[in-house]
Amino acid sequence: MPEFTKPYESRWQAFLLLLPTFAVLIAFLYYPGVETFRLSLQQTILLGTRKTFVGLENYVTLATSSTYHWSFAISIAFAAVVVVGTLVASLFVAYLLFQVDVGSSTYLIAAIWPYALPTAVAASVLLFLLHPSLGIITFVLESLTGTSLEWFTNGPQAFAVVAVVAIWKQLGYNIIFMVAALNNIPETLTESAKLDGVGHLKMLYRVYVPLMSPTLVFLVVMNTIYSFFQTFPLVDLMTSGGPNEATNLLIFKLYRDAFEFSNLGLASAESVVLFAIVAILMYVQLRLSESYTTYA
Amino acid sequence: MGLPLLLALIMSTQSTTEVYQITNVGIGSQGLSNYGTVLGEYNFTQYMINSVVMSVIIVVGKVTLSLFAALALVYYRFPYERAVFMFILLTLLLPVPVRIVPLFDLMARLGWGNTLMAITGPYIASATAVFLFRQHFMSIPASLVENAHLDGVGPLTFLWKVLIPMSKGMIAGVSVITFIYAWNQYLWPLIIMTDQSKQVVQVGLRFLQAASQSGLTRWGIIMAGAVIALLPPLAVLIVMHRPLLETLAIQQK
Repeated sequence: MPEFTKPYESRWQAFLLLLPTFAVLIAFLYYPGVETFRLSLQQTILLGTRKTFVGLENYVTLATSSTYHWSFAISIAFAAVVVVGTLVASLFVAYLLFQVDVGSSTYLIAAIWPYALPTAVAASVLLFLLHPSLGIITFVLESLTGTSLEWFTNGPQAFAVVAVVAIWKQLGYNIIFMVAALNNIPETLTESAKLDGVGHLKMLYRVYVPLMSPTLVFLVVMNTIYSFFQTFPLVDLMTSGGPNEATNLLIFKLYRDAFEFSNLGLASAESVVLFAIVAILMYVQLRLSESYTTYA
Repeated sequence: MGLPLLLALIMSTQSTTEVYQITNVGIGSQGLSNYGTVLGEYNFTQYMINSVVMSVIIVVGKVTLSLFAALALVYYRFPYERAVFMFILLTLLLPVPVRIVPLFDLMARLGWGNTLMAITGPYIASATAVFLFRQHFMSIPASLVENAHLDGVGPLTFLWKVLIPMSKGMIAGVSVITFIYAWNQYLWPLIIMTDQSKQVVQVGLRFLQAASQSGLTRWGIIMAGAVIALLPPLAVLIVMHRPLLETLAIQQK
């Protein structure tokens, strides 16, 4: 709460200043949001010209559909792989950056640039570089390991490739927050640990990681939301959900149910499930950040 | 981390024949001519213009609307302030995929398909930007505000003469975050823009892949397109990384 007395009293001026934001939020966020719930209780027939109320039928369909169960399960698995992979890789880079401790912008930009990388660009570039028969990275990997990359036909490999691209794109965002967190750690701690002769890696997981935990929790939540919502271009451009549904993530399935199969009621029910996932994650984030501030 | 980008850059200079020689990782014979092909033959010039227009409208709209809203929240006394702020913040729970079917429906009923209103409208109000500006305004010393008020300055003059000059870093940061976010949009433009000439550059990459489904895929061309689609947000990040980092640091709270 502000400590000063507010200078302006005119209610209609305040109303006018808030009006554009409110108009947009109501028209394009709240109204469609509420409509999603309403549509999820309906069945559209004849290409959306007729709608009939069907109650919870769409939800029953989802609950009993093995395709949906599969999508749900691989989305959870995908989120887990992306969250863990991103955190480990970015922690490594951020720690290196912190150790080198150059105030130089060049190093910093070299580490955080994927923040500006469009997901569609990441997908196009790695689709080619990891191409089973043409990719130069594929060629090097196969020469080194002796295994063959066949991810156009091999489900688990496709899942792994898409996850790697998702992680690559998300590194910048994570490194930004981790470097900030590391820079907030009091130098006296680092000094005294150094005097005790603690090794770099031990320092990282004994001293730094616990101190960075509020940031890490925040990143777990943000990365999870990212892997559920922002990964559509990856699936769309790299695998189209295949092979054998191996990369048919919830967001891609939602797109197809809505805009390819015109199954608007079912797609809306899928949106409601996604809404529930965001709501739970945001709630977790809120509760945890509250508990940290009480200790601080 | 930068290696795939470097390889993409090299491959974007190669002819299709050179691309199909897998171990050929030298600069190709095409030089920069693939870029010309993408910008001309494949309409990327048009897509880039569309992306720039869309992103700039979203940045200007979001910053303007959010400054107004924050001004009202911090410097005006009105009933239910807390509720109004919560009403704005709660929209964080509604990312596009959560409301995509009715939103598409709404645009169709408004007759906004293929218009700038449709790709920019859903993005120009923002809980995050209002939150950040509000935080920043609240950190401005009260003495300044009182001085301004004693001189009988109206709210818009106060915003223009006092608040905006004092919030330059924050406005820059929000603008950068918004620009990068807007530029990278893919799903919503893909759905709402059915007219290919109105499409943004990210979806242009999809056309590029689809265009070469028959015969040998022109990967050199696709890499050139990918590099073009990456340059604007990358340039913005490099030039504006300071305000970006400062703003993100505040956002976490």
